[in-house]
Amino acid sequence: MDILAFLAAPFVASLILTGIHAYLGVHVVERGVIFVDLSLAQIAALGTTMGVLYGLDPHGHGVYWTSLAFTFLGAAVFSTIRGHQARIPQEAIIGICYAVASAAAILAMSKSVQETEHLKEMLVGNILSVSWTEVRTTALVYGCIGLFHYIFRKRFLAISLDHGHSGEHGYSVRFWDFLFYASFGFVVTSSVSIAGVLLVFCYLIVPSVGAMLYAERIGPRLAIGWTMGTLVSALGVYLSLKIDLPTGATIVCTFGLVLIVMALLRGVILRALENSAPEPAAIGPQETGLRT
Amino acid sequence: MKGFQGLLSVALLIAIPLGTARLSLAASKLNIVTSTQDPSAITRDVGGDRVNADSIAKGYQDPHFVEPKPSFLLKLMKADLLEVVGLELEIGWLPPLITQSRNAKIQVGANGYMDLSRFCEILEIPTGQVTRAMGDVHPLGNPHYWLDPENGRRMAKAIQQKLAELRPEDAASFAQREADFERRLTDSEKRWDTAMAPYRGRKVITYHRSWPNFAKRFGLDVVDYVEPKPGIPPTPSHTLELINLMKREGIKLILVEPYFDLRTPNAIANAVGGQVVVLLPSVGGVKEVNDYFQLFDYDVNLLTTAFAKTK
Repeated sequence: MDILAFLAAPFVASLILTGIHAYLGVHVVERGVIFVDLSLAQIAALGTTMGVLYGLDPHGHGVYWTSLAFTFLGAAVFSTIRGHQARIPQEAIIGICYAVASAAAILAMSKSVQETEHLKEMLVGNILSVSWTEVRTTALVYGCIGLFHYIFRKRFLAISLDHGHSGEHGYSVRFWDFLFYASFGFVVTSSVSIAGVLLVFCYLIVPSVGAMLYAERIGPRLAIGWTMGTLVSALGVYLSLKIDLPTGATIVCTFGLVLIVMALLRGVILRALENSAPEPAAIGPQETGLRT
Repeated sequence: MKGFQGLLSVALLIAIPLGTARLSLAASKLNIVTSTQDPSAITRDVGGDRVNADSIAKGYQDPHFVEPKPSFLLKLMKADLLEVVGLELEIGWLPPLITQSRNAKIQVGANGYMDLSRFCEILEIPTGQVTRAMGDVHPLGNPHYWLDPENGRRMAKAIQQKLAELRPEDAASFAQREADFERRLTDSEKRWDTAMAPYRGRKVITYHRSWPNFAKRFGLDVVDYVEPKPGIPPTPSHTLELINLMKREGIKLILVEPYFDLRTPNAIANAVGGQVVVLLPSVGGVKEVNDYFQLFDYDVNLLTTAFAKTK
């Protein structure tokens, strides 16, 4: 079997992940709830462990639905705590959920048969061993969710970009918040079972942040995010084979490195764009899309 | 309340030592703790109802890594005899437990500490220097030696002699039970050898290096491992090499211990049109396997079925 055939399915899987995650990541970063996805991913992983503890096949359907149930529960919790301008910071609740879900997964695994390997898998996944069946199923599910988000894109963008004022538009913010988190939960559950918690987090946040360094508007941000995600996936998978390292963790590290490079080159690239265009570029160091 | 508390404490201080003393006189069963379920299964066969034999690690767990739980310390504190597999199999988790138990009887070198590897035939003893770069290599030899029934025989004999030393009054019973064990083992070995005979020389891949003794006894040729080095999880390029090796040499079976994730083995098997067999290295690997004989029955059955299917 030659290298390309070996890498084909993992690479296509990473492309699918890039597609949906870069888009959802734009929303997540705009909402300022970066750790929601890490927390939700860990809750999804906890759901998987509970399924395995109950005796279900670790890579079967029963475990997927269990994981999804847990994720929806988490999504419901997170969508309700957002509304309150509470004394307790939202990130505190999210962080606590992450810690407790991680520990609960460890406890569940200690009672089960397949302990430590599974715990490691949860973190970085095993994208190299993804099957074409999984790729097809994931593409189908994500395609539907993508379509759903495209049809209602105005609603979703409104509540993400301008949460304080979206109540004035006349539709239930709570409801659309929950729909966002629920569809988000669907994606996270499927992704975690292939790619693990850390890699899912990276696909969500890093392309969006990289894009924010260079663009203000959603369209360009998506384009940059998708490009970055594709390039990093290809580079990460290739490097993991060349240097013989675990693929998931390699892609995570590649994301980090590429982001640093993008940040370092930002000044250079923006100045070049400024000089070539008559009007000054709208982005200065103090306007990197930081939201109050 | 103070008066009552004082009275209660005094009462307990008197009653508990008396109670436990009476208990230990009445039930003079030997309390035996083993590191894994294989020594404890053999010990139960040899000791019968004169012993309580329990293991710390369960057969479905990886014996190299066991998460400590409070119940382990409790077991060790009450133990008269500790049987270990040795050859540094338990070095990652057992030594601190032994120290913390503060049980003088079972400390290393004491009369109640028994290293079963001293009595058995050990394979894969490394020559030359052993470094971490070679992976998780056991510097004194491969510790999965109980998977050769001949070593099972040696373990039973050694355990019988130790039990007789600790409980001379039951020595006759132990000797008789051990003779019975050996007889049953001889009968079973004939069955297993006959079943595996047609498949001698067959090539297989295993996940971890758990099977040299088993392979030597039953004539299997373990060509390579899913782990690139012992204890190191599968890497992309080694997995690719393995797929190409299996295709080149027509190897169809991957034998995987039950505590490893099946994703990568399944992916490899898919790529070569082969099959993954979850083989048990220890008693207790599944619910139905509760003693040494059932372990080999189960494994031999699984292997012969798989070999027959993958001509």
